[in-house]
Amino acid sequence: MLRVMIVDNDVERTKPLKQSLLDTGYEVIAHLRDTVNLDDACCELKPDIVIIDTDSPSRDTLENICVMTMNEPRPIVMFTHDGDKEQIKLATQAGVCAYVVGSIPNERLRPVIDAAVARFEEFKHLREALNEANNKLNERKVIERAKGLIMKQRKIDEDEAYSLLRSMAMQKNMRIASLSEQIVEAAQLLL
Amino acid sequence: MSSNDITSDKNNSNFLQSIAVDNSRRDFFRTSAAGAFGAAALMGLVPNSIKTNAWAAGSDAPEITEVKIGFIPLTDCAPIVVAAEMGFDKKYGIKIIPQKQASWAAIRDKTVNGELHASHVLYGLVYGVQMGIGGQQKDMKVLMNLDHNGQAITLSNGLKDKGVKDGKTLKRLLDNENRDYIFANTFPTGTHAMWLNYWLAANGINPVTDIKSIVVPPPQMVANMRIGNMDGFCVGEPWGARAIADKVGFTVTTTQDIWLDHPEKVLGTTGEFVAKNPNTARAMIAAILEACKYIDAVENRAKVAKLISGKAYVNTSEEVIAGRFVGDYDNGIGKKWKDPNYMKFYQDGTVNFPYLSDGMWFLTQHKRWGLLKADPDYLSVATKVNEIKLYSEAAGLVGAAIPKDHMRSSKLMDGIVWDGKNPAAYAAGFKIKA
Repeated sequence: MLRVMIVDNDVERTKPLKQSLLDTGYEVIAHLRDTVNLDDACCELKPDIVIIDTDSPSRDTLENICVMTMNEPRPIVMFTHDGDKEQIKLATQAGVCAYVVGSIPNERLRPVIDAAVARFEEFKHLREALNEANNKLNERKVIERAKGLIMKQRKIDEDEAYSLLRSMAMQKNMRIASLSEQIVEAAQLLL
Repeated sequence: MSSNDITSDKNNSNFLQSIAVDNSRRDFFRTSAAGAFGAAALMGLVPNSIKTNAWAAGSDAPEITEVKIGFIPLTDCAPIVVAAEMGFDKKYGIKIIPQKQASWAAIRDKTVNGELHASHVLYGLVYGVQMGIGGQQKDMKVLMNLDHNGQAITLSNGLKDKGVKDGKTLKRLLDNENRDYIFANTFPTGTHAMWLNYWLAANGINPVTDIKSIVVPPPQMVANMRIGNMDGFCVGEPWGARAIADKVGFTVTTTQDIWLDHPEKVLGTTGEFVAKNPNTARAMIAAILEACKYIDAVENRAKVAKLISGKAYVNTSEEVIAGRFVGDYDNGIGKKWKDPNYMKFYQDGTVNFPYLSDGMWFLTQHKRWGLLKADPDYLSVATKVNEIKLYSEAAGLVGAAIPKDHMRSSKLMDGIVWDGKNPAAYAAGFKIKA
């Protein structure tokens, strides 16, 4: 059984990965947040593979462990010898970096890397979706405020105010949300 | 109700009108921008043959004008930062965008896969990639050396309390007190690993068998020593000075006392990049060489220290950088001195010339410590990696002297001379090795 160690400060991101590895029969021997004792942890726990954030400063620590124990070649997955550039690119974009401490054939490593990339990607999409939802919510808020301003200034009702906004947005070829933003900003200055 | 109704109602809607005016101005800009893009698109229709003829006619215009250069937060990233911040890049028709990185591994990966066009990188790391140590082999280039000297080995206060004050007393402690001694460097094939190994071995300590070597990211060295995780480390400034300022250790030796005017960081890139973009590579060398010249003037150093201490760069206090930057050393155990051999960046270009013997030295040490299993063809590897041709052209543009000899001779701390002449014999000749 492959022994996997996960190093990431973002536990929210790596929790699902841990679960999915456990579900598919891998042994997740450690999940480290603090990397101060990374070297000791690697020596004591002897993971076969370490999954780490591409931009973690602790990557050099792992480079050393791989080089210092290289009686046989220890592939670093970012430089896989199977030359699958697309796969490497995908992993980098997702923020996954993997170090193999030991000589394990690529076909046994692949599922772990694939799972890590998939989970990290999923997390990225979730975060993007959340951002999008937040943006939408903010847009709705600003439209409401613009509508309120127009209603108050022109003493009209909500529907009329909205159709005013909409027709002006169409005329100016702008999104209602952007026009509303400008109205709110301008109102701050002028009213 | 139409939108005209809004703007014509003067009693309460002037704010909407002001928006309408504002928008029309925006549209104007948008239209003119489209015009400019249109022109660019038309230029794209100029046949390639005409463009290439213009190049063949002797233009040395850079192929890429925006270059991303990676760096690690260390004092010697200064040439990259100064070249970009003080406009030396524009003089040579390029724009340098410094890109801070969190690890040497990231510098290597991003340089190799082209995300970064070039990097501030450890001399030995470039040769490690060239030889395929710890990763896939890739043809690399050293465009120029960036600095000499200015790194240091720090020992912990714990060792000081045991009476250690130099290499001899460290050796005595190791012989008498049996435990694991942990020493940190910054990258397995890098310069700090080689300085540390060389110094330990010169003091009778075998770095492969007598101590445990670990790697710690430079900005984390001091914190790790504070919690007792290590006995010593070798790293670039300002982290040696910082260990003293934070009272966690002392400087047992500077690297200039291991090898006076040793090579250190380089401007590194891939062979592929240089083959495709020789003019950009030359422009980068020229711009950074001129920055090196600027930094080397003592009167500019305070300003440079201030510039690089910022959050976007080294991110530490200016004072911690400034002292050793001009040779004001304090070893933290009572010795203060003015070191004439502090970190040098130019010295009429002798710092920057990519001497073949400098590159070969790292190969000899990689062989000595077992990172290379067999002797490589030292001279042909160095000739391939060190970009003497483009460097010399760039030095011509800047007015830096170009040495006639591609080798130089140095006597290191143990009295052994390295002149690049017999690399295999040199590598095999050390008493202490892997």
